[in-house]
Amino acid sequence: MSGWLDGNFVSVIDGVAFGLLLFTIAVGLSLVFGMMDVLNLAHGTLYLAGAYVAYALSDGTLTGLLLALLAGALVGTLGGAALTFLTQPLAHRGHLDQAVLTLGITFIVADLLAAAFGGDVLPTDPPTALRGTVGLLGHAYPVYRLVFIAVAAGLALLVYLVFERSSLGALVRATVADRDMVRALGVDVRKVLYGVFASGAALAAVGGVLGAPILGPGPGVDETVLVLSLVVVVVGGLGSVRGALAGALLIGQVQTLGVALLPEYAPFLLFGTMLLVLVLRPHGLVASAVRA
Amino acid sequence: MAGRFRPVGLVVASTALLLTTACGGASLGTGEEKQGGPVKIGLLVPRSGTYKALGDDMKQGFELYVAQRGGKLGGREVEIVVADEGETADSGKAAAEKLVKQDRVLAVSGVVSSATINGVKDLFETGKVPLVGSNASPTTLTGTTYIWRTSYVNDEPGKALGKHVAEKAGGPVFLIAAGYQAGKDEVEGFKSTFLPAGGKQAGEEVYTPFPGTKNFQPYLAQIEKSGAKAVFCFYAGGAAVDFVKQYRDFGLAGKIPLYAPGFLTEGGVLKGQGDAANGILTALNYSADLNNSANKQFAPAYTAAHGAAPTTYAMASWDAAQVLDKAIGAAGSAGAAVTSESVNAAIARVGEIDSPRGTWRFNAGGTPVQPWYLREVKQGVNTVSSELGRLGG
Repeated sequence: MSGWLDGNFVSVIDGVAFGLLLFTIAVGLSLVFGMMDVLNLAHGTLYLAGAYVAYALSDGTLTGLLLALLAGALVGTLGGAALTFLTQPLAHRGHLDQAVLTLGITFIVADLLAAAFGGDVLPTDPPTALRGTVGLLGHAYPVYRLVFIAVAAGLALLVYLVFERSSLGALVRATVADRDMVRALGVDVRKVLYGVFASGAALAAVGGVLGAPILGPGPGVDETVLVLSLVVVVVGGLGSVRGALAGALLIGQVQTLGVALLPEYAPFLLFGTMLLVLVLRPHGLVASAVRA
Repeated sequence: MAGRFRPVGLVVASTALLLTTACGGASLGTGEEKQGGPVKIGLLVPRSGTYKALGDDMKQGFELYVAQRGGKLGGREVEIVVADEGETADSGKAAAEKLVKQDRVLAVSGVVSSATINGVKDLFETGKVPLVGSNASPTTLTGTTYIWRTSYVNDEPGKALGKHVAEKAGGPVFLIAAGYQAGKDEVEGFKSTFLPAGGKQAGEEVYTPFPGTKNFQPYLAQIEKSGAKAVFCFYAGGAAVDFVKQYRDFGLAGKIPLYAPGFLTEGGVLKGQGDAANGILTALNYSADLNNSANKQFAPAYTAAHGAAPTTYAMASWDAAQVLDKAIGAAGSAGAAVTSESVNAAIARVGEIDSPRGTWRFNAGGTPVQPWYLREVKQGVNTVSSELGRLGG
């Protein structure tokens, strides 16, 4: 057992890092889809935009990273607001129309980004202070990924507290449950919807900034991230922060520990897991209390 | 919709249709070449998408040679017609058809992807137009008369390394590659010389899902667990950057030597890898620091024009222009008309090519018999450390 753990310890830790990255990205998609009923396929594009921001502003200093985080959050917020505005007219026309529109947006933005940054994958180095490796039980592990785990865990906690434990979160959940009642209470419902979309989008872009040294910007990364986020949302269950966290941590382990143990099944692990979860729990690991 | 039936229009339309379909079997070359007049050469390279950087290298290499000959090939003024290969077999095929059927070029060079070259095989073979490809060369492409490659066959970089690694590793070697055709070709090529030379594998070879794999940590953990004394990997493009950086980040660099086909550290990816690439050993048919007279003509001029050392992709394209230069010159000697067919016949007789990689010639399969080199990355630059022998004969 100790031998097994020793050989796979790094994979487990890295699965946590990868899972937290997936949570940061996917939670916005889950909330927007689960609460506002908008299918946003441009979600991976928000990550990609954030990752390019990180690349453009990375200069080896911690200040550069902080600036990139602020800029990324801004880009994400604006992107989220723009997406809300664009998808509003399609609110009652079903998911297919929303999917077509947001997918079209991904193509346009991907081409614009490729025109601006070129077609190569742009490796983004973390700040100098966070480079190098540390020993974990005698195995080398990148310092940046450890720091990332700490930061992303903090973000996850913040999101959880806001949505599940604050009056603001209660307002959001109430809006989803009974829009007319909330409106009757004198709340501007549109502001709530914009707020959820924009903050979810900002999280995805911040995920892009933090994730750039792990999953760097380049053509096609938006699709990779979108597919992973959709799998996390489906596995975790729609519209719940806890569900997104459970789904993300599970998929993180599947993609690291799972691959380390069963490399020959690597191409099938992701969707195999999704299939298994859907068979056992059709609504995901944590079925949302909000949506019947 | 026109109400009245117009027989004349119908006759014209069907005649035109018959004519275009009949072209499928007839020679499409420029049979009516004006004596000594200009010639059109098609350049089929990606101008967009994932492979754009490769396409740029190839275009620059080809154009440099033509510029160095005063804009002429074989003594004829050249008009280079560039068509965008794109990313897929379909986009590549459409661009090739435009060059052959619409532009009526004398010959074509370029082609990045194996999917494209497989897709256009019939177009060139039945159209009787020579394709002097300068990159894509899958092991499955055989038995062609009009398709040549100035690069190498896909499994050769692996073949070139096998014996050397078997002798140097001092223990079992872990094999890992991107899970698509080129990766399998390279691994099979490597094993074909590695195993007979007494090499031992550390477990089964591993193919990582392509292009989805971004995090190589689980595989790196496996390499550590396997007790391998060396690693042979095949990655190119973005995956090459990810793999090399993570190989360093997870503490394997400097502990377990990393061997690979040259693409792992060739061109733009080397910049992306930074100092993580130092010490990596690769096999390739070219290195920018080779010391021979052709490379003295080529490498400094290329570096001066583009601000970066030439890659094997640029070099093979420079050579493709050189092959066409010699073939057009031979076909048009003594005032003969230059046609696609006569140029193709001349390519078959072109003999030794004095190339920046060293001398080479075409074998019966239309690919080079050429030297291979072992290179090491030192301070972010590929430097030749020894010759691994000749392959392709």
